Amino acid sequence: MNKPRGYFFPLRPGSRKSGRLRLSSKLRSIQLIITLTFMAVTAAVAVIVSIMLYGKFANTAEENANLNMQQIIEQVNYNLELYVKGMGSIFATAEKQITSTPSIDSPLLYERMDTLMSSREDLVSVAVFTPQGKYVVGTPGQTMRMNTGLESQSWFTTAKRTSEISYSAPHIQNLFKGRYTWVVSISKLIQYRENGELRTGVLLLDFNFRTIDELSKQVKLGKRGYAYILDPLGNIVYHPQQQLIYAGLKYENVEPVLEYAYRSYLDESTGEKRFITVRTLAQTGWKIVGVAYYDEIVTTKRDLNQFLAWFLAVVLVCVIAVSVFLSWLIASPIRKLERTVKQVAEGDLNTPINVSGAYEVEQLSRRFNMMLQRIRQLMEQIIYEQETKRKGELEVLQSQINPHFLYNTLNSVIRLAERGKTDEVVTMIQSLSRFFRISLSKGKNIITIQEELDHIRHYLVIQSFRFKNKFRYEITAQEEVLECQTIKLILQPIVENALYHGIEMLPDEGLISITAGLQDGLILIRVSDNGLGMSRETVNGILSGSVKSTSGSGVGVRNVHERIGLYYGREYGLAFQSELEEGTVVTIVFPALPAGEAMDKQKEETNL
Amino acid sequence: MKSLRVWLTVLLCGVLWISVSSCFNASPAYISTSKTRNIHLIVKMNKGDYWNTLKLGAEAAAKEFNVNLTFKAPDSESDIEEQVVMVEESIKEKADVIILAASSYMGLAQVVDQAAYSRIPVISVDAEVGSAKVRTYVGSNGYEAGQKSAERLIQLLGGYGEIGIINFTNSSLTPDSGKTGSIDYGARDADEREKGFLNYAARFPNVKVVQIAYTSSSTSDAENLTREMLNKYPGLRGIATLNEIASQGAARVIQGLERDSVKMIAFDSSPSMMESLQDGTVQATVIQNPFSNGYLAVKYAVEALEGMDIPERVDTGTKLIDLENMLWPENQKLLFPFVR
Repeated sequence: MNKPRGYFFPLRPGSRKSGRLRLSSKLRSIQLIITLTFMAVTAAVAVIVSIMLYGKFANTAEENANLNMQQIIEQVNYNLELYVKGMGSIFATAEKQITSTPSIDSPLLYERMDTLMSSREDLVSVAVFTPQGKYVVGTPGQTMRMNTGLESQSWFTTAKRTSEISYSAPHIQNLFKGRYTWVVSISKLIQYRENGELRTGVLLLDFNFRTIDELSKQVKLGKRGYAYILDPLGNIVYHPQQQLIYAGLKYENVEPVLEYAYRSYLDESTGEKRFITVRTLAQTGWKIVGVAYYDEIVTTKRDLNQFLAWFLAVVLVCVIAVSVFLSWLIASPIRKLERTVKQVAEGDLNTPINVSGAYEVEQLSRRFNMMLQRIRQLMEQIIYEQETKRKGELEVLQSQINPHFLYNTLNSVIRLAERGKTDEVVTMIQSLSRFFRISLSKGKNIITIQEELDHIRHYLVIQSFRFKNKFRYEITAQEEVLECQTIKLILQPIVENALYHGIEMLPDEGLISITAGLQDGLILIRVSDNGLGMSRETVNGILSGSVKSTSGSGVGVRNVHERIGLYYGREYGLAFQSELEEGTVVTIVFPALPAGEAMDKQKEETNL
Repeated sequence: MKSLRVWLTVLLCGVLWISVSSCFNASPAYISTSKTRNIHLIVKMNKGDYWNTLKLGAEAAAKEFNVNLTFKAPDSESDIEEQVVMVEESIKEKADVIILAASSYMGLAQVVDQAAYSRIPVISVDAEVGSAKVRTYVGSNGYEAGQKSAERLIQLLGGYGEIGIINFTNSSLTPDSGKTGSIDYGARDADEREKGFLNYAARFPNVKVVQIAYTSSSTSDAENLTREMLNKYPGLRGIATLNEIASQGAARVIQGLERDSVKMIAFDSSPSMMESLQDGTVQATVIQNPFSNGYLAVKYAVEALEGMDIPERVDTGTKLIDLENMLWPENQKLLFPFVR
């Protein structure tokens, strides 16, 4: 069974490849292709999604920051408004108390003022001045400094100019000894009574600026953002870095702020991108300006982008892991199959292929297994056929020198010679000689039908001596058939069969008739006898080999059938027609081949 | 053919990845505030409005540029050794930058060289130090300040009369003769102011600087020196004081005398000085810009760390404040540090 390597499935010449080619073929492996494709697709999707998310989130972050800032400034604005309103109501209370007092220097007023002072921690001083700038009354009782320049201070001049309550910008109050305080002054022209006389004066309330300062200072817009306050004229009321602004180290672009009461915009006048939010205080006209640095929003963006980078890295790692595993899962049964097939290709047909895995691979493996099985079957069949053929040939060869036949024939010759029947002896020996010459045919297997018919005639001549003319025979053939080819010695076994089984036991004279003819490109040789005939079982048994002839040359009828099948194809061979007591007709059918073609067939056969 | 396709895919992926990651990591161009720096600020003294305001300015910048500011100062302006020790400590603590207001021009020179040797940049603020390793000086021009003081005083005196000067320096070691020693341990700013004053006064033949007294860092010492001076020169018409401590001491004496005949030009702006200015004891005061000094020193320190080019000298200017302009809005902030 073990054939030499490469006998059935020789390795393709291209299968031994150079190193470079092997590398590139490795790169074309399913596993790598799946891995890379999977990776590329997933990475692309992840990147695209990330970019989209980034854009979306970055915008949202910016919007949120902006909104957040606006809310904070709104809140500050609200708080300041509330605070300023509080200052206003304190002022109103003070004014009411002063105007309602019959005399400005009554101790009752002092008491009331003191109560007012203690009610507000941020109230620094309450004082009334004459329009000429003379101090009338005040609390807490202070001594005024010299050189205050009061007449030119804005709270004083504004109060004199309008009858409205006026709020000053924060400034240093230099009126009273003991301290210099940053205050916001509220002032107004009022009427008061002194010794029963109605007079006009300026009421001044100083509020410590600390509260406003702290309210504003608390504003945290990112790490570096801040809020500042502008008065309606564009002077900076409060700025966390006011010193820097006065020193010229910082600059605020207040012009666009002054134009609007309520606005948010992006400002680049200082060289850096900044978000500006403006809100305006109702009572004082002060503008709260929130300043947030764009790069801090960018910081959020940077965080986001860092996160996305990490996210992408993690996704990529996961994708690589998954794709490597997945491709391994898919590729490994295929590789296993490939290895097994390679083993088969190298000649080991017994290699079992039981590869499990994907459905397709399993199917492929099963089909391949079936194919292999079929190959094995066919091979066995070929081997069997070869053996049978050789055995048949051997038998033919044996029959050619069948000693029993020779012995019988020679005995007949001797008997004829003893009786002095010289003519018959000559005929007998002649026939025997021709018989053997054709039998041998110089070792050729294929002879002409003419020769085959001659051969059988000589045989019949010899046999008719032996059977003492117990039968007659006739051989007829169409002219065009005679030059056709045939395998040799196909008629003898059939005729032998007819003689020994059909005619020998027959009480009457037997008749063997052989006709050869051409029909539809097929050669039909019919051997009929009028012998005993055969039962149907026997007929069926002959070709299947279950019925064996016990006498004769030993070259079985079946052997003839098989040889024809082998040479010309399975569809050709013998056909039996038999009736008990009537006789048998054996028809041999094979294609008619002119001399040349049969030679090819013969060559092919000898090669096998 | 197939392998080519595979390689192309790989290449494409790579290019995509690089382009995406590079556009994500675009960094803006401004002073990076993402890194916290340790900057040590060592000034002459841990009290006084002047130094507090300077510290406020430094803190404002520290907040803006994400700086971790360490503030150090000896108890007294004349404590040179203590200041040297502080600089040495900062070197040991591996400060990123040391900002120094040197109490002594020469006394701190060596330790500054040492800092430079340890690759710590030194920025000097307010008062210079005798080292070539200093990256920049941030402060006022003392010489100019001295000239301003002299100009106003001589103007007030009508261009004639005896003038006394009370300066400050480390001359407590060698009182009254601080400039005679071979090594000048005085503070550079004091020196410069005095030089400026004297050079200006020298233009006026009728003006005579009769005495220059040096105070250590205490008002009572300054008071005593003023009293001595007034006793010694009864005809004294003008006094110039060249720092905050000296000014406070002298003002107190002159106010007590209730003597209008002595005109005084002070230095720096403590609240009590404002009070004296308003009640007419002091006619004017030369002020510096301590907030700007502190702020700019820290700002340039950060820029130096960023490897930016910084100017060798930053003059933050001086101003002469008198009763008239003391309440101008732009001066209020300088004179009265915002909320104390």
